[in-house]
Amino acid sequence: MAPKKDPKAAVKKAEPAKPAAAAAAPAPAPEPAAPPAAPAVDLAAVKIEFTPDQMEDYKEAFGLFDRVGDAKVAFSQIADIMRALGQNPTNKEVTKLLGNPSADDMHAKRVDFEGFLPMLQTIMNSPNKAQFEDYVEGLRVFDKEGNGTVMGAELRIVLSTLGEKMNEMEVDALMAGQEDENGCINYEAFVKHIMSV
Amino acid sequence: MGCGVSKSNHFHKTHGKKALRAAVLIQRWYRQYVARLEMRRRYTWHIFQSVEYSGEQAQIKLHNFLCYLMDNFTPASNERNLISHIFRDNEVCRDPEWERYFCYKNIEVPELYSGPHLIFPLTMDQAIGLVDAFRNKKQLHSRYLLQLLLETWKQIRMLPNINRISTCHSKEITICGDLHGQLEDLLLIFYKNGMPSLEKPYLFNGDFVDRGKDSIEILIIMFSFLLVYPGEVYLNRGNHEDHIVNLRYGFTKEVLTKYKMHGKRILKLLQKIFSWLPLATTIDHKVLVLHGGISDTTDLGLLARVDRHHYVSALRPPKNRPKSVAEMSIDSDVSRDLFHNKRRNSVTYPKSLVSRDSFQNRSLQDFSKIKGEDELDTQSVCSPRRDRAEKGCADSVSLESINCEEEWKQILDLLWSDPMSKDGCVPNEVRGGGCYWGPDVTEDFLNKHNLQLLIRSHECKQEGYEFCHNRKVLTLFSASNYYDVGSNRGAYVKLGPDLVPYVIQYQANSMTRKLTVRQSVRQTEGSAIKVLREQLFSHKSDLICAFKKFDSENTGLCFVSVNDWACAVEGVMSLGLPWRVMRSQLVKCKTNDSMIDYNEWFHELAIKGSSADHIDQSLLETLYRHQATLETIFRIVDLDNSGFITMKDFVQTWRLLSSFLKLEITDQAIADLAIDIDQNNDGSIDIEEFMEAFRLTDKKSRLERGRSMFMGTATDLTKLEGDPNI
Repeated sequence: MAPKKDPKAAVKKAEPAKPAAAAAAPAPAPEPAAPPAAPAVDLAAVKIEFTPDQMEDYKEAFGLFDRVGDAKVAFSQIADIMRALGQNPTNKEVTKLLGNPSADDMHAKRVDFEGFLPMLQTIMNSPNKAQFEDYVEGLRVFDKEGNGTVMGAELRIVLSTLGEKMNEMEVDALMAGQEDENGCINYEAFVKHIMSV
Repeated sequence: MGCGVSKSNHFHKTHGKKALRAAVLIQRWYRQYVARLEMRRRYTWHIFQSVEYSGEQAQIKLHNFLCYLMDNFTPASNERNLISHIFRDNEVCRDPEWERYFCYKNIEVPELYSGPHLIFPLTMDQAIGLVDAFRNKKQLHSRYLLQLLLETWKQIRMLPNINRISTCHSKEITICGDLHGQLEDLLLIFYKNGMPSLEKPYLFNGDFVDRGKDSIEILIIMFSFLLVYPGEVYLNRGNHEDHIVNLRYGFTKEVLTKYKMHGKRILKLLQKIFSWLPLATTIDHKVLVLHGGISDTTDLGLLARVDRHHYVSALRPPKNRPKSVAEMSIDSDVSRDLFHNKRRNSVTYPKSLVSRDSFQNRSLQDFSKIKGEDELDTQSVCSPRRDRAEKGCADSVSLESINCEEEWKQILDLLWSDPMSKDGCVPNEVRGGGCYWGPDVTEDFLNKHNLQLLIRSHECKQEGYEFCHNRKVLTLFSASNYYDVGSNRGAYVKLGPDLVPYVIQYQANSMTRKLTVRQSVRQTEGSAIKVLREQLFSHKSDLICAFKKFDSENTGLCFVSVNDWACAVEGVMSLGLPWRVMRSQLVKCKTNDSMIDYNEWFHELAIKGSSADHIDQSLLETLYRHQATLETIFRIVDLDNSGFITMKDFVQTWRLLSSFLKLEITDQAIADLAIDIDQNNDGSIDIEEFMEAFRLTDKKSRLERGRSMFMGTATDLTKLEGDPNI
């Protein structure tokens, strides 16, 4: 194997089955299907309703993502931390919360735990909560034959071309070991499996 | 797939909006899954690291204790006699005596031996033959091994403290980090990159041994290539190239197991070789490669001048040695019995560890304080090369001592330090030796020595490598799956005349590549959590004490809030782990969402099925907690390395341990334990069997093997010292 010039590129190419969202790598930038930008959220006005216990929990998790040691995390990590805490925002929602920063800002700017809390609260307050059934329904859309399975290949296309597109590595990681010998996925089982993380 | 695709397109057009919503939903949910996985991966990593560093600290504390024993117990005491031999330096001093002691010539190689035969001087074919033989699980006969080691020693004695390599003639240098006895990784590197040759120089950056199971084979391969290509193979010393560290971390055991008859001699010779390994390497005067790191006082000029072989173990502060002129030989490291001179006895116990950020804790540096000139009533010379044998005045003697201490600190820093993200330089109290150094120190150091890059190893990294300090420092780690199957990749670096590092990653064991990320996180996490749960159980009494403190109303009920639980656990375990995040993994039982029934919890954690149900509970706890320390002491006590110790020594060992830990263990309890173990009543105890009897899990994962290193964290040892109730 020829050595690669840029170590960062080597990381990406080396092993295929790695999820792209490891470490501080941000998810790909959102592509809004709908017309853009409602005004930015006023974070100062958000009332924090977490119990002290919850705040301790969140603080610990927050600390896990601080790789630099300054008790802050980069903008690009915010979405991931929220997800790690059980929330499910779209990248678009998070970017809006952060005031639609530039790509550079996403990496460079950092926020501390106190700044993070109102963001988390906003997301938690938002009504867009999906349950197991919603996910199954979502996948059922692609169940053309109505037999409880979707075509793996079709799902790949959808996920990489629509909405907040996933890249090839992410799709591979998601689908790993899920397709049967006909390339089909039983989606109820799929959802159960993924939700059991 | 042609018609399939167009069918899909049609399908999407008709269900456009629905499809889009569904896609976004799945994507969101996938990203949540990945984020949660990432969080689990992170805390799993923290667990491993804490475990590893705690073990290192515990080892240092044990070692300090042994030094203390040496200094403060009378020579006649039983305890001291048990351990004094490890402090006795090589008794053989002159070169011909060395050759005689390590003579391999009368070792016969039996006809049945199917391993490789070596004929010196070694050739490339033989070196390659060795690699093949080890790939096929052969073992090199002790005769050839001793011969190889002798030749290696002769070769590396001639090397400078700091190797200098140049990349002229467009040669690319391959640099490897820690291997830790993982032969599979070395074979993988050779497979991907080719073996060392005139066109392919290699630099190995320390920590070749310990933890993995093929340390000796790795050394054999490296030394062979070094002998065949002395201008193309370079070795830097690591903190594990140290016989005291080896006692705990498996290399000593490996050698004694594989070489039952001659193991002791082999180890002694290796001890010498380790002390002669160069300390660092420069490439084109621009890139510096060393094992651990630097400090704000690192002085390459000084390091180039020290007599490196005097520092047989970086864990031991330098002694003042009496030497007469007649005894000086170029590499003698003789020492009279320590108690012939007045020794400093200022060795004190370190303070307890508070957190990674605090530097209240003592580190090894504190143990070399010299009391005063009047204590040094004999001539002592640090360096026989310098012509100071004649000087008798106290001033120069103490100057020598200070120089020794300074040199020792420099070497310690080189082999044990870690980078940190904040500016400055503070003692590395997590490891117990060396420093944490910041980006400003890197900047100053590189400028001062006109360097552009520092390559080091010493720390496991998930990707096998990591840049820091504005890409001026590169950490390189070559032992993949170090903590457990799937835990991390390994990497090596190629450096050409442009001095831009090209990194190549790999992961041994094809199984791991096939595991999905989720499976490998799950597996690794499983091991880590299992170990943590055992640790928690083995600290049961301390934890119960801590929980009771939160029962301010003295209800006597065994409930504690989640908050208090997390506080108490961190207070007792001191690992800096995210206990709340891991709570659901550690506490399966719960009364309700905010309270934990800790009695219930301990039942759940209880180590089941051990063979020791009838043994005194507190003794058992001690055993679980200090298993590695106990085993280390056993190995020290086992003078003839037979794997057996007498009943008498067994009892003595426990006495030693209990005085170290300041625990009350009655003689009766120890006797009970001994009788239980000495099943054939022959008055001797098989160390392995003893350790096995109390081993709690199967040996599959490395962490579980390494689990014993963790047991008996340094913190609980130091806590005992401060606690007036004990």
